[in-house]
Amino acid sequence: MYTLGRYPRPGMWTALRCRWVRVIASVLPMTNTGGYEERDVVVRLTDVRKDFGDYAALDGVSLEIGAGESVAVMGPSGSGKSTLLNMVSGLDRPSTGSVVVGGEDLVGLDEKGLALFRRRRIGMIFQFFNLLDDLPALDNIALAGQLIGLKASAARKRALELMGELGIADRKNIYPASLSGGERQRVATARALMNQPSLLLADEPTGALDSRSGDQVTQLLTDLNQLGQTLLIVTHDPRLAARCARRIVEVADGRIARDRAMDHAVATEATR
Amino acid sequence: MSAVWRASRAAVKRRRLQTFVLGVVVMVSSAMAIATLGLLAAVSGPFDQAYDAANGAHVVAEFDSSKATAAQIAQAANAPGLEAVAGPYPEAALHSPSETGDHPVGLPGSFTVVGRDRPDTPVDTLELSAGRWATGPGEIVMNAPSAIGPPQSESERAVVTPDGVKLKIVGYATSASQSAGGWVTPDQARALHSDSLQMMYRFKEAGSDSALKAGMSAATKGLPSDALTGTSSYLAIKANLAKGPNTYVPFLTVFGVLGLVVSVLIVGNVVSGAVVSGFRHIGVLKALGFTPNQVTAVYLVMVTVPATIGCALGSVIGGLVGGKLVRQAFFGIFGNDLVIDKATIPTWVYPVVLIGMPALVALSALVPAMRARRLPAAVAISAGSVQQTGRGLAVQRRLGGSRLPRPVSLGLGWPFARPGRTALTLSTVVLGVMTVTMALGLSASVVKFGQLETQTDKIQVRIDLNDPKWNPPGPTHSDDQVFALLRSLPGTEHVYAETALETRMTGSSGIVRMGAESGDTTELHPDLVRGRWIEGPNEVVVSSEFWHQHKASLGDTITLDSSEGPQPQKIVGESTGGWDVTTLDWNRFTPLSPVQRAQSFYVQLAKGTDPQAYAAAVGRTDPGLHATVNGASDTIEKVIISVVSTLTLMLITVSSLGVFNTVVLNTRERRKDLGMLKSLGMTPRQVIAMVVTSMTVLGAFGGLVGVPLGVLAHRIIIPMTGHGTGLDLPNSLLHVWNWPMVALLAFSGSVIAALGAYLPARGAAKAPVAEVLRTE
Repeated sequence: MYTLGRYPRPGMWTALRCRWVRVIASVLPMTNTGGYEERDVVVRLTDVRKDFGDYAALDGVSLEIGAGESVAVMGPSGSGKSTLLNMVSGLDRPSTGSVVVGGEDLVGLDEKGLALFRRRRIGMIFQFFNLLDDLPALDNIALAGQLIGLKASAARKRALELMGELGIADRKNIYPASLSGGERQRVATARALMNQPSLLLADEPTGALDSRSGDQVTQLLTDLNQLGQTLLIVTHDPRLAARCARRIVEVADGRIARDRAMDHAVATEATR
Repeated sequence: MSAVWRASRAAVKRRRLQTFVLGVVVMVSSAMAIATLGLLAAVSGPFDQAYDAANGAHVVAEFDSSKATAAQIAQAANAPGLEAVAGPYPEAALHSPSETGDHPVGLPGSFTVVGRDRPDTPVDTLELSAGRWATGPGEIVMNAPSAIGPPQSESERAVVTPDGVKLKIVGYATSASQSAGGWVTPDQARALHSDSLQMMYRFKEAGSDSALKAGMSAATKGLPSDALTGTSSYLAIKANLAKGPNTYVPFLTVFGVLGLVVSVLIVGNVVSGAVVSGFRHIGVLKALGFTPNQVTAVYLVMVTVPATIGCALGSVIGGLVGGKLVRQAFFGIFGNDLVIDKATIPTWVYPVVLIGMPALVALSALVPAMRARRLPAAVAISAGSVQQTGRGLAVQRRLGGSRLPRPVSLGLGWPFARPGRTALTLSTVVLGVMTVTMALGLSASVVKFGQLETQTDKIQVRIDLNDPKWNPPGPTHSDDQVFALLRSLPGTEHVYAETALETRMTGSSGIVRMGAESGDTTELHPDLVRGRWIEGPNEVVVSSEFWHQHKASLGDTITLDSSEGPQPQKIVGESTGGWDVTTLDWNRFTPLSPVQRAQSFYVQLAKGTDPQAYAAAVGRTDPGLHATVNGASDTIEKVIISVVSTLTLMLITVSSLGVFNTVVLNTRERRKDLGMLKSLGMTPRQVIAMVVTSMTVLGAFGGLVGVPLGVLAHRIIIPMTGHGTGLDLPNSLLHVWNWPMVALLAFSGSVIAALGAYLPARGAAKAPVAEVLRTE
């Protein structure tokens, strides 16, 4: 079992959560999403189709994810789960259908608009971390803050706070090549959280980690969700899904085959 | 070998873009190499061919017939070391003859006629371009290019001597040895008061002045010491003809060398990049059983094949463009059809470039290929996934804390991550900036030279007097009246008159082109390289060409034919261009001119005077005066500027391709970083800014280094060009730089870098990132 150590300090997460609420609240009035219930929906995919030539990677996918939810997208290779993640993150556009995330209709955004959306609304964690090799851990995290206009000193200060909360403050000057897999993923997580995103996306976050590091990251994601962070995780790993997610979306042949709440008994079984 | 070929083909397919860049770079460089080598070879090639074909005389000698008889001269010519002789022939000088007919022949003011009974002599075999040989009294064959021969040979044209002897022009011939202005029968030459004998020699050893001197002393042994009155060496003729190509050779050589160096740098960069980015590929090849030699061969074949294709295409382009340039180089100045016909790129140049260029490419690829060869398979395979550390990290960290926008600071740090690649790219940019600087300097100097030649800074209007014989109506005013007329016009500041003529100089068998001037020459004379302007009678200023051809010095006295007979003249100055000799002794020399009066007037206008309006006003006063605004650029200047511009454009393209190649390598290597940054919200414009910044910083540094190097190259090339063309150039030609221009040039490095970086940067900004982010 992952021991929290210095993480999380309850006060800090409360403050963080409050900030996220403030951020979301500050953004929502600018959108066309209407009333209070609409604000609760962070992700809404409506009849999304994505074609690659003759091949339909997604075919009529509709999905809603509410604020604070933790959803795991599962399915075999080639089922379309990564394409689904790309739609939600704005890294790719649907052939037809609509994608609304955090109140923003991504289909109507140009490349710059999508970039600004990613910068402000989402955080992403990847299987292979995707850290910049020539920046130390602290600067890798601060980078995200600097992109939204924070001064270097302010970004580094906030990055250091996050590193402290994630228990890696002593690794701030270490370059990615010298960090363990678990440490790298925690640096990547800190970077994803840097701009207080309304949605945290994780693509096989434990796929490249040993079991101990994988457990640590799983616990981290679980804790984040418990603190109110909306999570969308793409994974093959049933243990990760069972421990982090309260809802499982199974994708097969580009369609949502099953969308169900995590059964407590199944989860317990899976985590054994 | 087939395995190597297949692996190489696969490597080429993976790097289509870089292979294309490599092919284009080698193509451009090969074209430049063909043109440069072709011109270098052509400097002596066509002349030697033409001269040998015409049995050109190595020395044309003039003997005083009162000191040595024809028999004595012929007897002395039996000396060893002689290959062939022709002569002696009676020789006479025609002083300011006139001409009749419907078109001017361009008759010189004073020229030599030689009495020869046949054109096909063993030395100086003449080629009749029109008409027939002179066989009887009253006939003459003129030494003139074929271009003006045929139409004139069909009509009644004649040369009339001052004594009234009429010589009908029956043919035109070209003498490679430039042995005479015309040929008559020997009897006719004697009838024209021949007082000298012409003898032409070909020596077995004729490669240098000293060899010719030794040959001549053997060929005149036993003759009275003062019998030999003048000689002309073929080396002087050759040097004179080589001036055309020599104008181009220095800067073409520099451009050619720069092109080759840039190619080598880019090839090294391409192959290094292929090795670095293909570590895993190398490991796989070795794991499959490729020997170290086969791995080396894969990388060499990968670059040599596109280089060979590029080289072949470049050779075709170089042959077409270079051939035209070579002909232009000869024609631009001399228009001598004898040499132009043979002025082509020698055949040997093509195999040299076709073999040499790919070999050079392979050689520059050898170092990185050897690196691939040495790499152990296990290390190579794992290197593909190992992250690079320790390069430029401190710099990147410092930049991370700076106040610069993050995309800019990230881009600034890129060059430090791959120092070797950065050094190669920087060198390419430095050479690009150096080329631009040098080219601008050359163009500015050429323009300035043109201004010196035409004196556009001093003279605004030129007035040519119509020749009533060939171009009626003639002027109604005499020279003095034209002076008075021009001085009376509002806006006239200074005026001088000039007439061009040809005369003979004692001790030389060739003609001397002279400009006789009168008027305000003290104010309007050209800038002098050395000495002073003419201040009294019997003083002359000579051109650089004359200065070197006759090894003149200030204070030397030369004797020139005048209307009053031979006149000693003291050399008091040297000018870069102009006539061989310039004199102010108007009354003594003008009668030698075909028109025997002023041919042109030159006017300096007061500030604010409109030259066009002034020229129109002159035309209204006398229809025989043809006034034009001074300022037309010389053809050769236009050719040089266009050649320099073309080469500069080519080298800038190549330099930009070098940057392009580096950015392609960088963005491919960093595609995961770029994907991550985009996933964090970096906009396409920020990605472009980051990538372009990474090269612009190199460009800025390249500008700072390249500009001084370009200025240095300019300072070396201009005197070399002057030396090659036999001109002493004033130092003012080197002073073409000013601070705004230098600052702009320093900025050109950034422009070259930005040009090369923009397209791949845009590609990086547009590239889909989703796939990259999920794969390792």
